Amino acid sequence: MATTVGALAILGQQADPATKRVAPIGQPDGALTIGAVIALTGNANLYGQDQRQGLDLARRWADALPLAAGDPPRRPLKLQLEDGGSDEATAIAAFNLLIKQGALALIGPTLSQQAFAADPIAQRRGVPVVAPSNTATGIPQIGHFISRVSAQSSVIAPLSIAEALRRDPHVKRVAVIYAQDDAYSTAETLIFQKALKASGLAPVTVQRTQLADNDFQIPITAILQLQPQLVVISVQAVAGGNLIRQLRELGYRGQIVVGNGLNTPNIYPICQRWCDGILIAQAYSPELNTPINRTFLQLFKDSNPGQSPPQITAQAWSAYQVLFEAVQRLQRRGGFDGLTLGQARAALMDELLAGRYDTPLGPIHFQQDGELVQGSFYVAEVRMDPGGRTGRFALVRTDTVTAPTAPAVSPAPSPSAR
Amino acid sequence: MIEALLQTLLNGAATGGVYALVALGYTLVFSVLGVINFALGALFSLGGYLTYLLMGGAISANGALPGWGLPLPLALPFPLALVLAALLTGLASLVVERVAFSPLRRRNAEPLLYLITSLGAGLALVNLLQMLMGAEGYAFPAGALAGLPAAVVVGGARIRSVQVLLLAVCAAAVLALTLWLEHSRSGRALRAVAEDATTARLLGINSDAMLRLAFLVSGGLAGLGGGLIGVSISLPGPYVGIGYGLKGLAVLVLGGLGSVPGAIAGGLLMGLAEALVPGEASGWRDALAFAILFAVLLLRPNGLLGRRLVEKV
Repeated sequence: MATTVGALAILGQQADPATKRVAPIGQPDGALTIGAVIALTGNANLYGQDQRQGLDLARRWADALPLAAGDPPRRPLKLQLEDGGSDEATAIAAFNLLIKQGALALIGPTLSQQAFAADPIAQRRGVPVVAPSNTATGIPQIGHFISRVSAQSSVIAPLSIAEALRRDPHVKRVAVIYAQDDAYSTAETLIFQKALKASGLAPVTVQRTQLADNDFQIPITAILQLQPQLVVISVQAVAGGNLIRQLRELGYRGQIVVGNGLNTPNIYPICQRWCDGILIAQAYSPELNTPINRTFLQLFKDSNPGQSPPQITAQAWSAYQVLFEAVQRLQRRGGFDGLTLGQARAALMDELLAGRYDTPLGPIHFQQDGELVQGSFYVAEVRMDPGGRTGRFALVRTDTVTAPTAPAVSPAPSPSAR
Repeated sequence: MIEALLQTLLNGAATGGVYALVALGYTLVFSVLGVINFALGALFSLGGYLTYLLMGGAISANGALPGWGLPLPLALPFPLALVLAALLTGLASLVVERVAFSPLRRRNAEPLLYLITSLGAGLALVNLLQMLMGAEGYAFPAGALAGLPAAVVVGGARIRSVQVLLLAVCAAAVLALTLWLEHSRSGRALRAVAEDATTARLLGINSDAMLRLAFLVSGGLAGLGGGLIGVSISLPGPYVGIGYGLKGLAVLVLGGLGSVPGAIAGGLLMGLAEALVPGEASGWRDALAFAILFAVLLLRPNGLLGRRLVEKV
């Protein structure tokens, strides 16, 4: 019996890639794998498309970086994409698959709701995770191995409310609408409502929808009866595009503030000309004039002539960039020599948290709990082209934050955000 | 107040009209075959995508042929695209019949097996759509309803023009179907097969042909629903039809299995019930709809207009 258990334990250990030694550079298996779990299917797929592009551009940029004279050879990285779907189960399956296949670190998943389900798996297995788009409170606090390059909603969301009230200080009647079965939407609407309250405004109505809803005429009818001057929306992208379109078609002419869920140009074909004028707070501006952002912009425009990159693409690039730079720093110090994959993962996490990074988002670094520290945030207004099929996020306001984007506390993970 | 109620009722009726179309699709097949075609939701999605493509819409970056679309001179205006897409969906429904129903029918298989094969055919179709078109949402080309105002005022209530169109097309489709079933030779033959396939065969009616006709019309109705929903709220993804398929199934039971007037009444009742749920309690919308279904079935186990089934021994 004891022999059987021992044999099984040995077999199990051999099957766990974390116990295998990292191959030296130059050997056929010397490349390390960065796994990315993004939503390529389901209702979050619009974000996944933008993220895939950001990751692909970052990989191409990193692969093409020239070596300075005297630099040791670089540790090659492989990027392995897995579809995380738009639900928790698919994200968990993708995390498990990549961890089992020996990924050094993971990027993803797309939605915060998925992160609350999948990140604890990576945490238990000691695999570093960089979240490119999770904005919920409590994501990095899931554990030591979890970090993010996406500032949380509580920092960004109030900026767009402030801009709407600056444009029309006489706003008294505000309607709020959100998807009540979506973690991101429920978290963000609370932040919006808190920002409204701080400005002395109480919503005249709070309408709730479902994540899968695309027909909003019933809540819109209820909203319009109360004649709001400002409508604040927290839903995901496809639903948001439909909601804005139906709101305008039914005659609403006031200001619209939307949350991070609509931070993708993929909403343009859905709400078309009706997107024009909506306000949205962002963690990225294409107008940031730094060498790395210019490089990012150039690569993006080479692939998408005439378009500007969305925030979520810049965040995905940044997620890959911070991992790439942390790996190379560790490599330069001989940090992978003689390590098992499990030890390499732990060393990488420490290196990741210790570094400072100049990304398209601007200079960023991490707090010890993996929370992002970012300097500048922006408010943009959607301006649609005359044809109404495409448009751009035009910068209308920049806010500089000197303090960290979140207190270094460990609140209980709240179910939230994209 | 009256305007708000009218607006809510019109919204509910438009949604209910689409539910009724799907439920009628189920009803036609159920009437002649005694089983439910679970692929109908997928055919609904197919109808939406076909309408989009026939109008000149392009395949997105994640599709099999990124950027491909009908050359503009071949792009059809929405009404023509809607009708042609419904017809093509009807033909696809015939393929579903051939693949998922016909082999079982030849072997006199248990009705439960049809459930599995039709569900499988539906899932295959949805996945095929995802492979060809990508998973992203599609909005119909701008100007799909060129010439129509964004909204119209009906009795003081403001309603989107597309909802009025949706209601009108659903009503016309239901009326046409009813007239066809009641007054045409083929419609009466279909009803005869639904009543008693053996006797109908003895009377010289080709029951196989009638079955195929039921699948054709059933798929066409689902395709029509998909095109209408696509122009109203866009296509959020290949699974768009699944939700409508489930609602249609509930409506089918609510109205009474196999009852055409029941499917229409059930669809409207379901749509109106959903519309009357206040936004603040929208989380209870589906619960309310199914509570109504439950209550009706408690009072009338055969549905609103269903016939009592008597088993002969």
